[in-house]
Amino acid sequence: MRMLGVFEKSERVRHIGHLDIQRAVQRGLRRSGLPVAYSNGFNPHIQVTFASALSTGACGKREIMDVKMAEPVSEEVFLRKMNAAMPQDMQLSSARAVDDRHPALMASLKAGIYEMVIRDPRQADRLLPAIGPMMAQETIPVARKTKSGIKEVDMKPLIYALRGEGQKLYATLMLTERESCKPNMILEGLKRAAGMPEEEEVRMLVIRTQLLGEAGDGGLVPLETL
Amino acid sequence: MNMNDRIEAMLEKVQKAPRYTGGEMNTQIKGWEEAPLHFVFCFPDTYEVGMSHLGMKILTGLINDQDWSLCERCFMPWVDMMALMKEEQVPLFSLESRRPLKDFDVVGFTLMYEMSYSNVLAMLDMGGVPVERRDRGENDPIVVAGGGCASNPEPISDFIDAFMIGAGEEVMLELNRVILERKEKGWTREECLKRLAQLEGVYVPSLYDAEYHPDGTLKSFRPNCPEAPERVMKRYVDDFDHAYFPSKVAVPYTEVVFDRITLEIMRGCTRGCRFCQAGMLYRPVRERSLETLVHQAETLVEATGYEEISLSSLSSGDYTCLPELIRELMRRMKDRRVSISLPSLRIDSVLKESLEETQQVKKSSLTFAPEAGTQRLRDVINKGVTEEDLIEKVRDAFQGGWSSVKLYFMDGLPTETVEDLDGIADLAKKVVAEYFKVPKGERARGLRVTVSCSTFVPKPHTPFQWAAQDTISVINEKQEHLREVLKIKGVNFNWHAPHLSFLEACFSRGDRRLGRVLKRAWERGCLLDGWNDQFKFDEWMEAFRDCGLDPAFYANRERSREELLPWDFLDCGITKDFLWREKEKSDRAETTRDCRKGCNGCGIQRFKGLCAYADPKRAGAPSPSLVPYEPEGGNA
Ligand code: SF4
Repeated sequence: MRMLGVFEKSERVRHIGHLDIQRAVQRGLRRSGLPVAYSNGFNPHIQVTFASALSTGACGKREIMDVKMAEPVSEEVFLRKMNAAMPQDMQLSSARAVDDRHPALMASLKAGIYEMVIRDPRQADRLLPAIGPMMAQETIPVARKTKSGIKEVDMKPLIYALRGEGQKLYATLMLTERESCKPNMILEGLKRAAGMPEEEEVRMLVIRTQLLGEAGDGGLVPLETL
Repeated sequence: MNMNDRIEAMLEKVQKAPRYTGGEMNTQIKGWEEAPLHFVFCFPDTYEVGMSHLGMKILTGLINDQDWSLCERCFMPWVDMMALMKEEQVPLFSLESRRPLKDFDVVGFTLMYEMSYSNVLAMLDMGGVPVERRDRGENDPIVVAGGGCASNPEPISDFIDAFMIGAGEEVMLELNRVILERKEKGWTREECLKRLAQLEGVYVPSLYDAEYHPDGTLKSFRPNCPEAPERVMKRYVDDFDHAYFPSKVAVPYTEVVFDRITLEIMRGCTRGCRFCQAGMLYRPVRERSLETLVHQAETLVEATGYEEISLSSLSSGDYTCLPELIRELMRRMKDRRVSISLPSLRIDSVLKESLEETQQVKKSSLTFAPEAGTQRLRDVINKGVTEEDLIEKVRDAFQGGWSSVKLYFMDGLPTETVEDLDGIADLAKKVVAEYFKVPKGERARGLRVTVSCSTFVPKPHTPFQWAAQDTISVINEKQEHLREVLKIKGVNFNWHAPHLSFLEACFSRGDRRLGRVLKRAWERGCLLDGWNDQFKFDEWMEAFRDCGLDPAFYANRERSREELLPWDFLDCGITKDFLWREKEKSDRAETTRDCRKGCNGCGIQRFKGLCAYADPKRAGAPSPSLVPYEPEGGNA
């Protein structure tokens, strides 16, 4: 049996990198006393995976851990014990027990919903009006770092939805093992469309609010419900 | 932008933001208004170093466990953060409530090594607290300090209002209570300090005056008011086995230097190595009982989720029931996949049996500390280890499947000659030979022998407190020689340039005039001296020059028996007579027996019931694991 736990990475711990978040969850599982499964081998570790790595500096509202249990436990018990064992800034909001044959989360992941807060309201006033014109472009070229250097890509097909309000941008962006669009790319595209100089620094808080998977009818639904 | 926004903006730019964000497991503390006394525990080094320190975890836990006090944490920021703080005019803040140090009632520093002193000045200044104690007013915090270096507090005494000498667990609370009472009753700062001076184990430097002879040596050191005692007595923990122990300790998110559970199995050491300050200061030896340790281990594993426990003490191999302890811990931790490691193995005391058991769990490299290359020099320093001991243990280790051995030595020990240096190379060769004696199929592959050499620093409260340290140029020559003779296949040689040890020697045996040098060096930009890439030796030398003081006077000068030493006013248990006796024996390369074989009259025996080996009948109920006393006559 596996348990899908939905957890938060709050603003206070947003600078903690993914590896450290993984370790914090592992140690939380150890503290919880829950019957988790360990890998075999010389350095046994808890069998837990994550739907997606969240970048350093970003917050997450509904990140997902996928824990293999050695014995069945109820969702309620899992939730209660984990919340007692996890720091205040990484609490769980729900848990769902699934069968061992449940597909791997990483493989089902299709997109992420992001909230991006532009810290300076004057910059927000310049950037948000560029959403319409940018989305109307035939292609939206942005620079992306790859192993072989910086490459221009068209991010238009990677954007499911994008809108703005006040100082905030709301974006649904492709997020698969093969292809993904990062919140920074959206910012870069908007800066270009708004005619903002490339070197102008824009402070932005990124909050990933939901991970999405593809339902049978092709629609996007919360990954943990799939 | 308000303060919090400014901090958030800085955190987006610095290298390792989690050093400053707090919120780790088991650090969710009470709100500011929930306790009347506010204490900030400052560690004068980076987060990674400070969060590895057991003493800090114990004391923060202790203060937070009282309903009348709260304790937050603060570490030395890295240079990138300091630059931003300066630019943005953000004061140094505590991790928990992000308040500047000046908002707290008590600012407490732990002094683990002399080369963190410049960080103390920097942290005070950045935190909005006047750096020098004489500049502090009625509304400024009381700045206190404790830790190993408080055994000679003088060089940093211009900056600290009160020092805690000895074990902090009890005096810490007494001190806080006085400071709380001041808040309630409106005592002046001076009145408060005079009351603190009356607590046993507290030294208040403003209440003492020093005078000097024309040659620079100390002429007199006396209290300047009736409230301050002539001599300050160090504090002991009454009942080590039942001493305060936090049930929840912070678990950092990011990797720190020692990221595991540390169990202090024993305090003190009976061996009497003459260079070892901890061995002299933490007398008498006290063991924690097996039951207490097993209980602590289980509590901590549950509270932290750590995957490793390390046993710590000055000489873990001397713990009476070591094999039983390891076996019991392994039995209980097996299902939880917690490994047990022994960090400071003594080559003459580890049982083969327990070697084999640790190996089951983790095959890390084995560490041995012969300290000196020849038997003569080992006798001088009273390191009771023979070459046969070492070779036998190494053989066991190689046969047991280890292939990696670390050997620790010191250079610049009193009376050291070229033969002693060559002895280090001989020993390394013999270790390599032992490896090849194990048949090829049976030994682990990849022999790695690491020889590490550190420069000897004479320390107060040791028999070498009168000794001269070798000059930098002599040490350089010795290290050059070692590099030559240690060009051995399979052997790696590690050494450090002697400059830091030279300064450490100045400050460990310095007087209060060094406060000026410290301030000057800090003004010249000296900071984070323990970090190679930050250490500015030349600036330190300039600072000495600016103050008209000669560092060689402190580091390279041999003292006479008659000289009044800056730390003589502290009674740390051991007597000056004992130390001098030991010094004379060391001059004759004569050894002193282990206290477990009989009392050597170090001075601790003056306190009835404190040392189990000095006075077995009167010793307070010995823990079940204490070995029976073997009478062998004594010179106490
Ligand atoms: S009192 Fe005697 S037995 Fe105890 S530490 Fe001192 S010398 Fe050793």
